[in-house]
Amino acid sequence: MSVVSEDTSQKAAYILDKPFEKPDMVLTDTQGKKYDFRKETAGRPTLIYFGYTHCPDICPLTMNNVAVAKKALPKAEQDKLRVVFVTTDPGRDTPSELGKWLKGIDPQFVGLTGDFATIQAGARTLGISIEPTHKDKKTGKTVSVHGTQVMAFSPKTNGGYLLYDDKATVDDYTKDLPKIIKGENP
Amino acid sequence: MRHLAVPATVIAGALALAACGGSGSGSGSGSGDAKADLSVSSSYMPQPVSDMAAGFLTIANEGGAKDELTSVTSDAAGSVTVHRTVGQSMEEVTSLDVPAHGRLVFKSGGNHLMFENLKRKPKQGEKVTVELHFADSGPIKVEMPVKSATYNPANGH
Repeated sequence: MSVVSEDTSQKAAYILDKPFEKPDMVLTDTQGKKYDFRKETAGRPTLIYFGYTHCPDICPLTMNNVAVAKKALPKAEQDKLRVVFVTTDPGRDTPSELGKWLKGIDPQFVGLTGDFATIQAGARTLGISIEPTHKDKKTGKTVSVHGTQVMAFSPKTNGGYLLYDDKATVDDYTKDLPKIIKGENP
Repeated sequence: MRHLAVPATVIAGALALAACGGSGSGSGSGSGDAKADLSVSSSYMPQPVSDMAAGFLTIANEGGAKDELTSVTSDAAGSVTVHRTVGQSMEEVTSLDVPAHGRLVFKSGGNHLMFENLKRKPKQGEKVTVELHFADSGPIKVEMPVKSATYNPANGH
C-alpha cells in the first residue's frame, strides 16, 4: 500500500499520492454501443467500480450508496458526473441484463461489459484485481470475485486520485461528491 | 461490532437449567450446558435491485454444544443459499458452525444469505419469512424486515 496515504481523520477516501491513469479500454455499454472509457469520461468527474449483477451484497450496496449520494447534488452536477459500473461477469451480464439492473439503481449510471481479458487488464492498471466467476473444482459451487473499491477520477487531471473501500457509506459519498465534481480532495 | 450485552435474567435462567439438567448427555431430554441453545437477532434484508437479495442476521448460541446451520428456506424465493466471503471472493457453503457460547454473524461484506428467483421484489417496510434449519436444534422461523437498499446496521439507517 505504498501509493496510499491513509488519512488519520474520519474520512472514507484514501487519497492516492500518485494518481492512476485511466485504463485504455473500449467496452460495450447497456445500449450495445462501443464505449471508449477514456474518451467518454474525459474532463468529467468519474467513479468506476468493478462488480457483477448476480452479487447480492456489496455490489448493489456500493452502487446504491453512490446513487443516493448523487441525488443530493444539484441537477447540473448530477449530469456532469459519470458513474461507471464494469462487470466482472460478462458471461452472464449482457448489455440488457446490466441495463435492467442499473435502471433499478440509477438510470444515469453507465454499465459496461465485454471481453473479460480487457476488463481484467483495465482493472489491473488501477490496482484492482478481479477474477472470472467460476465453479470451484472441489465443491462445484460458484465462486465470484468483485473489486471492493470505487475509484474517483478528477475532471481536472483525469487522474484516479481517490479510492473508497466497501466501508464507505451514503454519508461519506454525500460529503465527498461535491468535492469530486470539482476535482478537489475531500 | 460491539458485543451484545447478555441480560442477567438469561444468565440466571441458563444457570437454573444447568443445575437441574441431570447428566447433560445432550440426548434430548437433558437441557443445560451440553446442548445448543439458539436465538436469532439483528435480521434484515436490504431492499433488492433485482430478483436476487442478500439477508443478514446473527445466530447466538447460549448453550454448551455447537450446532450447524445446514440450510435456509423461504417461500419468498426460489432458493436461499449460504455464502461466505473470503477476501473479495464469494463462495457458497453447505453449512456454517454456530459455536458453543458463541455467535454466527451474517453481515455485509462477510457471510450472507443469498435469495435467488424472488417471487416478487420485497419493498422496504415489508417482512420476508425465512426458516433456518440446523443439524441438531429445531428449525427457527425469522421474520426478516426489509430495509432500505443502503441500510447500514452500524448507524441504523
